[in-house]
Amino acid sequence: MAKVLIVGEIQGGALREASLELVAVARGLGGDVVSLVLGKGVQGIAEDLSKKGGGKVLVAEGDALEAYSADTHTAVIQQAVEAEQPDLILLSNTPNGWDVAGKLAAVLDVAAVTDVFRIEADGDGFLLTRRMFNGKFDAQLRASGRTLATVQPGAATAYEGSDAGSVEALTVSGLSSRSTFVEVRKAAAGGHDLTKADIVVSGGRGLQKPEKFDEVLEPLCAALGAQMGASRPVVDAGWKPHEYQVGSSGQVIAPKLYVAVGISGAIQHLVGMKGSNFIIAINKDPDAPIFEVADLGVVGDLFEVVPALVEALKQAKG
Amino acid sequence: MKILVCLKQVPHQDARLEVAPGGTWIQDSNIKFDINDYDKYALELALRIKDAGEAEVVVASIGPDRATQALRTALGMGADRAVQVWDDAFAATDSLAIAKTLAAVAKEESFDLVVMGLMSDDANNSLTAPMLAQFLDLPHVTSVVKAELQDGKVEVERELEGGSLEVRSVPLPALLAVQTGINDVRYASLKGIMAAKKKPLAKKSLSDLGLDAGAVAPKVSIAKLYVPPKGEGAELVEGSPAEQASKVVAKIKELGLL
Repeated sequence: MAKVLIVGEIQGGALREASLELVAVARGLGGDVVSLVLGKGVQGIAEDLSKKGGGKVLVAEGDALEAYSADTHTAVIQQAVEAEQPDLILLSNTPNGWDVAGKLAAVLDVAAVTDVFRIEADGDGFLLTRRMFNGKFDAQLRASGRTLATVQPGAATAYEGSDAGSVEALTVSGLSSRSTFVEVRKAAAGGHDLTKADIVVSGGRGLQKPEKFDEVLEPLCAALGAQMGASRPVVDAGWKPHEYQVGSSGQVIAPKLYVAVGISGAIQHLVGMKGSNFIIAINKDPDAPIFEVADLGVVGDLFEVVPALVEALKQAKG
Repeated sequence: MKILVCLKQVPHQDARLEVAPGGTWIQDSNIKFDINDYDKYALELALRIKDAGEAEVVVASIGPDRATQALRTALGMGADRAVQVWDDAFAATDSLAIAKTLAAVAKEESFDLVVMGLMSDDANNSLTAPMLAQFLDLPHVTSVVKAELQDGKVEVERELEGGSLEVRSVPLPALLAVQTGINDVRYASLKGIMAAKKKPLAKKSLSDLGLDAGAVAPKVSIAKLYVPPKGEGAELVEGSPAEQASKVVAKIKELGLL
């Protein structure tokens, strides 16, 4: 049976929900579960995790661990791995998770797989399933020997059992970081708040040209009384400002109705809109991942479908 | 100042992708390739540093013959030299092996800054950059959305979630893995493309780098690549655009949103 080390992540002074999802993934494998919590003033969080399925929880405390740094976190996790000798090391696929994962895998010289949503034991290693090609395909990967994986947040339901574990101090000395944390700040807020809109219509690369947002998408927004959003590639290309972006690094929204036009549905976009009450997707590619989360799908040429939709909406309203 | 830009040639964003008969990779014999989108922004970052002062920009890629085109494009955009590494052992490889090989390339010279994309558009791993940083014993920052060179250091902004940014100060030499959208990527001018033909492009094998197939044996392999199974998915609306539209409108009415 595989022994699993969970690396918990602290955000805003609390353990992230994603860390409890790791507990569920680890417990699903049926072997020993140990956890690591690192930060400053995290003893209480470690005790809490030990009662929520984290098993034996190692806690590393110190001023040097107050802010995240790849250098210090790698050193601490490496020490926990040497102490516990786990078969599998689990982190969450978050900005800190993927920042440290590669470095740690190189230090440990182990197999590494990111953003997985399913893990099974397989001989001396693991079978891990994840998306590839920006969501177009799924891949089952075979990792041999000790394996490090980052797990997609939301891929598992947080563990809800209450088991009595224990807490043990992990003493790590001589921690230092070459880069210096300066501050965390909010990106300049634009005036385009999509979180309060009842209806959001977003456009993607399928619109082909920036001016098509005005020519094709704007009439649909007007007919629906919707706010306009956009996918990341569109914002990256400078077609729309960042405040239009729907997704994990933009706005995370849950309107009553979300209409995705010419958006294929990369994971980072889906994270931003899958909580919508009703989702309509218009895309020419029937295999586009967006159709998996949509309630209603229109496979077709958006340049024909959207004008027809605007016309039909006008007629319906009389 | 010497800057290394690591880039990968990946299927073009508009290429129609299908799983190859073996079921472990895509059918890649008849599709268009391009420089990985993330890496274009990394290259642009390096070229802007070059434009602002004295810098030599070296581009490196691990890829088969076709990847020469990606490197020529990078040279056409303004990079000074290119290094291409290939060995059939890389046909099935993993991030760790790629990072070890790139580290061998980087160690042949002395770079003040290494930049690359946060991830590739095909594998989506986001592992190679921090692995490479470790092999080169460099501090690194991933998800970089802003980088400003100062005296002996670089001040960067790293993208977190929900619109938050982390500001970090990193001493040089360092490695940065950049996000997309951080600058406006230039196109190679005709003059640039002509000039690129005369710029040095070194082709290296594993043994040129002091490595062998054993040193880059992968620990991770693709057992199966497949189109994601259809869940319940969307209810699809059939018919002409007008018919589809009227069915969608009927649904919106039913939701009470009209």
